Amino acid sequence: MREKPLVDLSQYLPILLFLGVALAISGAFVVLPMIVNRLTGTAKPNPDKLAEYECGFPAFEDSRAQFDVRFYLVAILFIVFDLEAAFLYPWAVSLGGIGLTGWASMMLFLVELGIGFAYAWKKGALDWE
Amino acid sequence: MTNIDIIVFAPLLAAIIAGLGNRMLGNTVAKAITTGALFLSCALSWPIFFGFLSGSTSTSVVPVLDLIHSGDLNVSWSLRVDALTAVMLVVVTSVSALVHLYSWGYMAEDDSQPRFFAYLSLFTFAMLMLVTADSLVQMFFGWEGVGLASYLLIGFWYHKPSANAAAIKAFVVNRVGDFGFSLGIFGTFLVFGTVSIPVILAAAPGMAGSTIGFLGGRFDTMTVLCLLLFVGAMGKSAQLGLHTWLPDAMEGPTPVSALIHAATMVTAGVFMVCRLSPMFQTSPFAMHTVTYVGAATALFAATVGTTQTDIKRVIAYSTCSQLGYMFFAAGVGAYGAAMFHLFTHAFFKALLFLGAGSVIHSMHHEQDMRHYGALRKHIPITFWTMTAGTLAITGVGIAGVFGFAGFYSKDAIIEATFASGTTSGGIAFAIAVFAALLTSFYSWRLLFLTFFGKARWAGSEHIQHAVHAHHDHPEHEHPDEEGAGSDPHAAHGPVVTGTAGYHPHESPWSMLVPLILLTLGAMFAGFLFHGPFIGAEEGAGFWKGSVYFDEHLMHAMHGVPLWVKYSATAVMLTGFAIAWWAYIKDTSIPGRFTATFRGLYAFLLNKWYFDELYDLLFVRPVFAIGRFFWKAGDVGTIDRFGPDGVAAMVVGSGAAARRLQSGYLYTYALVMLLGLSAVATWAMLR
Amino acid sequence: MSMIASLALTLPELILSTGALLLLLVAAWGGDGSSRLISWASVALLAIAGLSLGCANGVAFDGLYKADAFSNFAKALVYAAAAVSILIAPRFFEARGAMRAEYPILILLSSVGMGMMVSATDLLTLYVGLELQSLAAYVLASFMRRDSRSAEAGLKYFVLGALASGILLYGISLLYGFTGTTQFGGVATALGDGISHGELFGLVFVMAGLAFKISAVPFHMWTPDVYEGAPTPVTAFFASAPKVAAMALLVRIAVDAMGPATSSWQQIVIFAALASTILGGVAAIGQVNIKRLLAYSSINNVGFALFGLAAGTPDGVAATMSYMAVYIVMTLGSFLCVLQMRNAAGDAVEDIASLSGLSRTRPGLAAAFAIFMFSLAGIPPLFGFWPKFLVFDALVAIGLWPLAMIGIATSVIGAFYYLKIVKTMYFDEPAPAYAPSASRMENGLIALSAVAVSPLGYLAIPLLGALSMAAARALF
Repeated sequence: MREKPLVDLSQYLPILLFLGVALAISGAFVVLPMIVNRLTGTAKPNPDKLAEYECGFPAFEDSRAQFDVRFYLVAILFIVFDLEAAFLYPWAVSLGGIGLTGWASMMLFLVELGIGFAYAWKKGALDWE
Repeated sequence: MTNIDIIVFAPLLAAIIAGLGNRMLGNTVAKAITTGALFLSCALSWPIFFGFLSGSTSTSVVPVLDLIHSGDLNVSWSLRVDALTAVMLVVVTSVSALVHLYSWGYMAEDDSQPRFFAYLSLFTFAMLMLVTADSLVQMFFGWEGVGLASYLLIGFWYHKPSANAAAIKAFVVNRVGDFGFSLGIFGTFLVFGTVSIPVILAAAPGMAGSTIGFLGGRFDTMTVLCLLLFVGAMGKSAQLGLHTWLPDAMEGPTPVSALIHAATMVTAGVFMVCRLSPMFQTSPFAMHTVTYVGAATALFAATVGTTQTDIKRVIAYSTCSQLGYMFFAAGVGAYGAAMFHLFTHAFFKALLFLGAGSVIHSMHHEQDMRHYGALRKHIPITFWTMTAGTLAITGVGIAGVFGFAGFYSKDAIIEATFASGTTSGGIAFAIAVFAALLTSFYSWRLLFLTFFGKARWAGSEHIQHAVHAHHDHPEHEHPDEEGAGSDPHAAHGPVVTGTAGYHPHESPWSMLVPLILLTLGAMFAGFLFHGPFIGAEEGAGFWKGSVYFDEHLMHAMHGVPLWVKYSATAVMLTGFAIAWWAYIKDTSIPGRFTATFRGLYAFLLNKWYFDELYDLLFVRPVFAIGRFFWKAGDVGTIDRFGPDGVAAMVVGSGAAARRLQSGYLYTYALVMLLGLSAVATWAMLR
Repeated sequence: MSMIASLALTLPELILSTGALLLLLVAAWGGDGSSRLISWASVALLAIAGLSLGCANGVAFDGLYKADAFSNFAKALVYAAAAVSILIAPRFFEARGAMRAEYPILILLSSVGMGMMVSATDLLTLYVGLELQSLAAYVLASFMRRDSRSAEAGLKYFVLGALASGILLYGISLLYGFTGTTQFGGVATALGDGISHGELFGLVFVMAGLAFKISAVPFHMWTPDVYEGAPTPVTAFFASAPKVAAMALLVRIAVDAMGPATSSWQQIVIFAALASTILGGVAAIGQVNIKRLLAYSSINNVGFALFGLAAGTPDGVAATMSYMAVYIVMTLGSFLCVLQMRNAAGDAVEDIASLSGLSRTRPGLAAAFAIFMFSLAGIPPLFGFWPKFLVFDALVAIGLWPLAMIGIATSVIGAFYYLKIVKTMYFDEPAPAYAPSASRMENGLIALSAVAVSPLGYLAIPLLGALSMAAARALF
């Protein structure tokens, strides 16, 4: 068995640097508003103000609460088409390089998504009521 | 296809047809085929015998098959016919044919008659294989074949526990003998390098005086071989020590007792000793042993026979005793006399058994003589034929004029023992004379108890049953009640007299004809054939070397003092007189006698306590050892750690696996991850 | 290689995926009433796809996909099993008012994924095919979504499947990271000059991810629960087609991509095979639900099939493929029999006790069931013996006879619970009789499977043996 180095740590130095920068900036984003707050003298907390904001739901309640599944349905459909858009950008940029095959492939992909969309529409997945 | 082939294989063919056809054939066809085959064999056997009598036939060997060719061991299956075989052929086929015929009547009400007749024919085939054996292996084949048939027939009424027990006992006791026999065969092959009987017999005298290592010591070769072979003969012929199975074998149907346990199979041991007589002649020690064992058996069985109350058991002990006569005759070198007694005994003992069967048949399966009496008038033909049989066994006759069969053969044996001049011969002579007295006593006792005196039928449950059942069911009861004898310890207790309204009936002609034919044999077999069998000059010409024939002894035998000649007749008359006194004149004598000699009586009634002794010495230890291996060895060790343990382990691990299958996702995910880490770690560290 | 040639090689997948999309539109507009039509159309599509397998042979899409004797053999089995799973479904779901037109389409999509799996020669094709198959399977498991057990089965399958996918993907990324390629051939080349720890980890993780799909111990935990909870036709599908596909994929990746590291994965496979046969045999004892019992049976059988792969020889691989071929017939036959277990009211019963005395109430069904059980137990006159013999023969041929002996011993444990079912059917007092069978087609399929695994199956040995041997040769 030929021994290869398990991990060459030197390759990961940029990531370490990146982590450090990210930590510094995010820390700044948390601390800076608080400092500004103090300085401008608008620090007048009340319960509503202190309540954290979370997608329109109360922060503290029973985790087994009824929850309308239609939110998820819409969200999933959104993700599908969101990802489609994410695929479309690199495709559009490199279309000149990948030629007819690339174009046909994306068209097929879009047709497939279209069929899926048609199915979902026909099934009534897009109707809220 | 020679006559001997037909004689031997006709019974086998009939047995196969009747046995496999069984119920498809129906009773009559199966019976007709087997009986027909036996009469055919019988008809072909007598000319061979007469051929030897007239000297026109000589020894022949008919090859059948090559059985084994392996290294030095060459066994061919061939049928040897010489004078000795011819004697056995007529005995076996005649008695067997008559027993087949007799069974038509005796077994008429049985459910599985084809099976019975198939067994009978199979037995006959095996017996014929035995007597025509040209090699020890073939003889052993026949030997085991008759053992098997005997086992099957003793246990024929297999739904009776006592019959099963008796069958197993017969088989197991014979194993002991057969073990000795097979050791003898192995040893013979070792010494002589062959199993062919003529070759061995020719080489035997040359081996005298050589020694062989056996059981760690060095012994005279021929003595060792002969004694081993004789152990086999003792088992098969129910000699003292290995005799215990024979009385119990009476659990079988009576025709079986007549054929197998009186006339033929039990004489196989005598036949074997005679067949191998040149071997035995080389070992004086073995000859003495044969003499002593035979004499002891004759005495033992005769004493026990005087006290038994079951009619078949009396005759069974009588058979045992007569077999002892044959053995000590052979032991003193009078093989001709032994074979002669075998020959006559076959007729009169078969006659007595079949007669007893006729009595049992007429008395509704009652076998206890204490419940007989006064049957003379009711079953006259049975009475007269049995009387002839009794006259024959007790040896009634007037020298030089006429005598019943036993008169010639038994007297010849008694004279031969005296004439031999050896110590063992002298002892045998004394015992033979005393046993003859007892023989006469118990034979007449049987006849008087059965046919004379007052009717004592009312005391029998069988009769009571028959009388009461008669009104409802005119049919006879199934004969499976036979053998359910009463407690022998109650012998000579209060006697219930009276007929209980029962009317004994004479047996059908199919049973009476064999009786009458056998009566002829019992009357004339001795008178007609004593010349060729034991005549000093004629004998040598008849046997032609098929047995060792000591002409000198035969001469001496005919020249014994007169008191010796008449001693047998004298004790016969004495025995008759005692029996007459005790059972006709004053019937209170037996009761008073047994009261006086209580210990002796109990000793004899319990057959010298042999069964109890064997139970203590062999049966219990074997059971104990067996139970130990079963409980501690098999169940406690092998099963516990073997099949049971493994099964329990599998079931247990199955339960554990099911517990792990909890139904919770996190358990499953955990197992997956644990498995993954374990595999990865192991792959890493390997 | 031109695009057209590549597309021609992937014709079976093209047929199935195009057909599935069209049928999806039919289903959308036709509603559940069109389910019968769609079912038959799906079976027809599978048949056409099967025919189009023909002699397709070659590498497509620059080494992402490969059609060879091996993939064709596996696809033929997969399509057949999928077709049977479609055929047996309508009556089952209609009795519960749950027949939906999407069922055959999901099976078709799953089949496309399985086709990709067995033809994959690239780690990414492998992953895409596997996920396509799995996503369809998750939906199928909870197909009767109003039935809590079905929903539970789907959820468990999904969560654990996602975990397994994660493990697989991690393994793939490790392999890519340490070999620099996702192509099987490239991986093999990289492994050829020795195996680093990172590669070893990648190998272990990929194997583990695939072991989940074939439900080999210790990645089997989902199997009994999912098999029990899923609707019976779906269970029949799970027990047959994906098993073949995943087993074929495992064989291909083990031989094609990790061939040079055989000594590394051989022991993992041996461990999984032994653990599967033992646990599959032991845990099945005492089960009262027939579907659960058959789940353990499938674990057990996968173990035996893995023995062939453990040998690592062409003979061993051929034995594994033969095993899977005979296995799907036996297991589909068994599930067909389970489908017949309906009480007088028409409701499905799944407890083994209800089989009592089946020989007297439904002698034909009992005989067929007994044949499948004896065959699964590998008792000689039946065809199930032959592949078992082949795998052990392959083991003995390379000197792994101790393993063969242990394997044979474990098959004795398995025989216990198979024979117990036969005993229940033939020697126990009859339980209330099942509703009479209404479907001639199902009866015909049962009879066909029973004949195939009966001693008559031995007539197929020359054909099956030659095909599986050709499949195995395509890899080496």
